[in-house]
Amino acid sequence: MLRSTRRPDRTNVVFIGLVVLSFLLTTYDVQTAGAGGIVTGLRNGAEAVFTPVQKLSSAVTRPVVNFVDGIANLAGLRSENEALAIEVARLEQELAEVEVLRAQVEALQTAANITVPDGLDAVEARIFAIGPSGFDNVRSIDKGSADGLGVGMPVVDHLGLIGRIDVVFENQSRVRLITDPSVRVGARVVRTGEVGWVSGRGSGPLLLEMFDASEVVAEGDQLVTSGGRFPPGLLIGVVVEGARAEAGFALRSTVDPYIDVSGLDYVQVFLETRQDEQGEIESVPPDDAPPIAPPEETP
Amino acid sequence: MTSRALFVGLTSVVIAVVLQTTLFVNDSLRFFDATPNLVLVAVVASALALDAEPAIFLGFTGGLLTDLLGGSPLGLWSLVMTVVAYVAVRLRGMVVDRWLLVVPGVLLLAIGAGVLFVGDATLFGEQPFKDPGVFRIITLTAVYSSATALVIVPLMGWAMQPRRTRRNAAL
Repeated sequence: MLRSTRRPDRTNVVFIGLVVLSFLLTTYDVQTAGAGGIVTGLRNGAEAVFTPVQKLSSAVTRPVVNFVDGIANLAGLRSENEALAIEVARLEQELAEVEVLRAQVEALQTAANITVPDGLDAVEARIFAIGPSGFDNVRSIDKGSADGLGVGMPVVDHLGLIGRIDVVFENQSRVRLITDPSVRVGARVVRTGEVGWVSGRGSGPLLLEMFDASEVVAEGDQLVTSGGRFPPGLLIGVVVEGARAEAGFALRSTVDPYIDVSGLDYVQVFLETRQDEQGEIESVPPDDAPPIAPPEETP
Repeated sequence: MTSRALFVGLTSVVIAVVLQTTLFVNDSLRFFDATPNLVLVAVVASALALDAEPAIFLGFTGGLLTDLLGGSPLGLWSLVMTVVAYVAVRLRGMVVDRWLLVVPGVLLLAIGAGVLFVGDATLFGEQPFKDPGVFRIITLTAVYSSATALVIVPLMGWAMQPRRTRRNAAL
């Protein structure tokens, strides 16, 4: 009987071995929810090695990118200057109206029972790296546990809620943006005071879901955080299209976030972590919001 | 293959990972909000110059680094980049010394990588399909990657040649 003497191609063996190893790594990481010893060790090691290099690279490339950007925009600067002069005149006129609007906003906040987080300790941080792939809705900031940051802390900029701290290292942290599909935020419609969920959809607008809505949401309605794992009153976004709840169905609509995801630079981290009963996903809070818990231990 | 080529390949992949995470923090270099996949381009360029097994290992390493510095579970990009390196190794006979073929080659590999990532991520409970722009991201990333490959692949190919070959080529 003839026996086959042909050996398997070594390249194929290496390829299949690495594919299997990749599957095993993913399975282990998913099963341990990213907290497995090997995975944590690998991530810590990678962060320790890459963070200084990334910070250096960011410091070097940022001015170069800005310079290139400036050169590219040089032609448009003259017309932009003229436009700005007109804009200044218009803004001066609007300034007078702002005081009136401010009073209206205060009245609206009172009506909606919104308590804007006041007196919270915050740490300013700068984004120095983004996720490597187009599907990563994460940012790396240059502050970590040494600055008092902990997992779950809310991150904002001057426009509104950006996300929450996902992973903390000693001198840097990773922020998971509200646009990430795994993030859900308890939201309140400012005009009606009704609450629901806002969840991320990557590059698309956020999704608003309200299960007990008795009123319609209208285009232009403002959404703020309702509490739970985030302090109440943080700006989230504005409703893109009006919607009403059909009998037995949830109200669904889309929301444009206030933040400009691709233009994020400096951010603030509120030094508080709120717990909720459901662990990873913040719940739509009851009327009595849970107390502020001390920051969690850094993993 | 020389150890120099392996060193250049590995260094290039590491540099690609660093640049991938820092160069596009601001939106100045984004193309309709998409970025090129520099790691994929570096892996393909290495696969064209290295022996098969080291090239596949390098692909796995590039993917692992992408996983470690990103927000997705470990192993997703490792799998994708291993497959990319393997396919590039198997097809390289068609493109060696025909650099213009690198552009459509990288375009197709990047599209395949994006689709494979989305499928693999969905298999493990991630939700890439919640993003209504998922195919736009895959397509634009592929286009952007193939454009950058036009510069990076010949440059890396030149850098990975033995010194004597490079000197002769210069003369």
